[in-house]
Order: sequence, then structure tokens, then C-alpha cells
Amino acid sequence: MSMFDIWLGILQGLGITLEVTAYGLVFAVPFALVFGVAQFVTTGWTRFLVTAIIEFWRSSAVVVLLFVFYYVLPVMGVTLSALTVSALVLGLNTGGYASQAVRAGLQSLPAGQREAGMALGLTRPAILVLIELPQALVAMSPTFVNNLIQLVKATSLVSLVTLTDMTFRAKEISQTEYDPVAIYSALLLAFFAVCYPIALAGRWLEARVNPHKGAQRGI
Amino acid sequence: MGFNLDFALSTIPTIIGAIRATLLATVLSCLGASALGFTFEIIRRGGGAPGLAVRFLIDFIRSTPVLAWLYFLYFVMPFYGIRLGAMTVGIMGLSLYYSGYLAEVFKAGIDAIPKGQQEAARSLSLSRRDTLVFVIAPQMLRNVAAPLGNYLVSILKATPYLAILAVPEMLGRAFDIASETYRYAEPLTVAGILFLALALIVAYGVKRIEQRLLASGRR
Repeated sequence: MSMFDIWLGILQGLGITLEVTAYGLVFAVPFALVFGVAQFVTTGWTRFLVTAIIEFWRSSAVVVLLFVFYYVLPVMGVTLSALTVSALVLGLNTGGYASQAVRAGLQSLPAGQREAGMALGLTRPAILVLIELPQALVAMSPTFVNNLIQLVKATSLVSLVTLTDMTFRAKEISQTEYDPVAIYSALLLAFFAVCYPIALAGRWLEARVNPHKGAQRGI
Repeated sequence: MGFNLDFALSTIPTIIGAIRATLLATVLSCLGASALGFTFEIIRRGGGAPGLAVRFLIDFIRSTPVLAWLYFLYFVMPFYGIRLGAMTVGIMGLSLYYSGYLAEVFKAGIDAIPKGQQEAARSLSLSRRDTLVFVIAPQMLRNVAAPLGNYLVSILKATPYLAILAVPEMLGRAFDIASETYRYAEPLTVAGILFLALALIVAYGVKRIEQRLLASGRR
């Protein structure tokens, strides 16, 4: 098998990798928005509850979380496909991280923004949606790009719950071909080909959103 | 076959027994990643061809999943006749993966030191190495302590990846129980709760140390 065949073989798993990523975003984006905003606007016990849910998804090890949900849900009588469980776990884990960016973005806005909205007679939800969120989300967009890269990389885990993503294909090929150097280099390169363009897009965004940062270089 | 709470409780001692391997992997990987990351950052700052190569290597590491790196090291090293234990390979993999992130932490830590420090060192005709060791590094340590602590927690949450290489850390031990008893839900749930608890405890400790450093910095 030539290097090129190995590459093609691994790329057959690209579809699943992208599918899990896209499906994961379906969970991650709403979770990050709802819980990030909730942590910002609530107080007292409600805030404690919101924080606890975020911390569960964010502070758990994602590897363990995936296995727990994969094996425990059926015992509880909930049968989901491996794809759904993976998207749910990886998505909500990423959503947990992104929710902190949403909250931090909202907190870092000057109070004058909200006060100006109040002076105009806007309601609290209107201030949030029309004034605060647009600014916070733009300011935090480079962080969201990093979260997306983390999600793409975490999809390699679905190979452990029987989905035939790129990592799974690499292992399949290595069962018939003894050429670990070519196979696993190709796997790393395949992920690099997917993630690096996203990282470059993130840097471009960062330069646009924070033009003053990054100019300094010492030593 | 529901969730058997008594069985779950009976697996706790065995899984907690593996906490030493989990913590050992965490600490050694963090030290390895710090040493490698700092070296990368110094080479990158040196510029030239080595600087450019390391800059690309850091981007490459950050664009590829840790699981792919673990497989790469685990299968490629024996191909070249290097036979190491799974634990050693796992620690090497985590060190390499997180060095890409810690290099960025060290970069930010060094960038934050006022330029006058370096100019003062040069006017005292200190060598480049002495400037680095006696002027830059000590001041950098305070800047990097907080992000380094956060990565310590991240590395802790990445150690269950080593179970995939059959390292007997906490998740690995949970899988051992599962394959002996054909019951997956209980040991995995226990491992999940233990990992979450451990991550929260370590994160709390890191936060406390961070607050102390901040307080001593203000004095």
C-alpha cells in the first residue's frame, strides 16, 4: 500500500469526523449561549445550579464522560446511537468551555453599555440581545474558533465507540498493513489539514477583533 | 440488568487504588510539557531556521488530537526498535502534546515582562543565557503560574487517554473491572465521579495558590 493509498483510506473517515463535529455544534452552540447568558444574569441559587451544570460538562474528563454515557445510558433504558451519544457528550463538553467565553465576554463590557440601553427605555432582554450579546460574541469570536478546533480534535475519541472516523480508519488499515510510520503520520497530517485552516482563520479574526494585541515581541 | 449500586460501591476501592498512577502521570506529564514547552519557546524566540521549524511544530501539535499522538508514539517507536512501557509512552505523548500549549503560555509570560528589564541586563553586559536564567525566567514564573495551573488540570483530565494504551490508571482500572465482570456502567460511573471530584479539587487548589501569588505580587 503506498503512502497515497493510506491517505485515501484515512480520508474515508473524514465524513464521520465532520459529521460528529457538525452534530456536536448542534449541542454546543445553544448550550454555550443559554448557559453563558444564564450564568451572567442569574444570582443566588439559580446561578449555583447553572454553574453546577456547566462545571459538570466542563470539568469532567471528556474521555471518561464519553464512555460513561455510552455504557450507562442503555442500562438506564435510554438507547441512542453511538453518533448521537458522541455528539451529545463532545458537544456539551465544548459548549461548557464556550459558555465561559460567553459569560466572560458579557462581564467585560463596560457598565455604560447597559446604562445607555436603560436610559433609552429598553427592557433588560432587549439590552441583552441588541446591545450586550453582539459585542460580547464578536469580542470572543477567536476563543470560539479555538473551541471549534478542540471539538474537531476531540472527535478522534469516537473511534473508541465504534464510529469509523479517521482515527478508526487508521487503526483498521494498521491491522492489514504493518507500516505504522506512514499510517500514523498520515493520520496526524489529515487532522492538521482540517484544523490548521481553522486556526489560521482564527488568527485572522483575532487580528481584526483585537488589532492592538500581538504587536509586541521581546528577546 | 439495571444499575447495581452495591456493585458500584464495591468497585470504589479498586479504582481509587489507581489514583497514584493518575497523579504520577499528571505530574510527570506537566513537568515534561513545561520543560519541552519552555525549550520550544526559547528556540522560537531565537529565530532563524530552527525558530521557524519550531514555530511550525508548535502549530502542528496544536492542530492534531492527543489520541493520534499517543497512537503515533505507541506504534512508531517499536518500529524503530525503541521499546518502552505504556506508562512512559503515555507520559511522553501528553508531554509532547501539551508542550505546544505551554510554549504559548511561556511566550505570553515573557512578553509581559517590561522591555527595560532586558535592556538593563544588556547594559550590564550579561550574556544571553544569563539574562534568560537570572532576569527573564524568575519574573516569568509569576506570570505563568496561573495558566500553568489551569493546564495542570487539563493534563489531569487527559490522563484517562492513557487507559487506551492499557495503562492501569483510574479509567484503565475501571475497564479491567468491566471486562472481568461484564458490567460496564457501574465501574465507569465510579471512575467518572472520581475524575470529576479530583479535577474540582485540583482546580480549587490551583485557584488558591493563584490568589496567594496575586496577593504577594501586590505587596
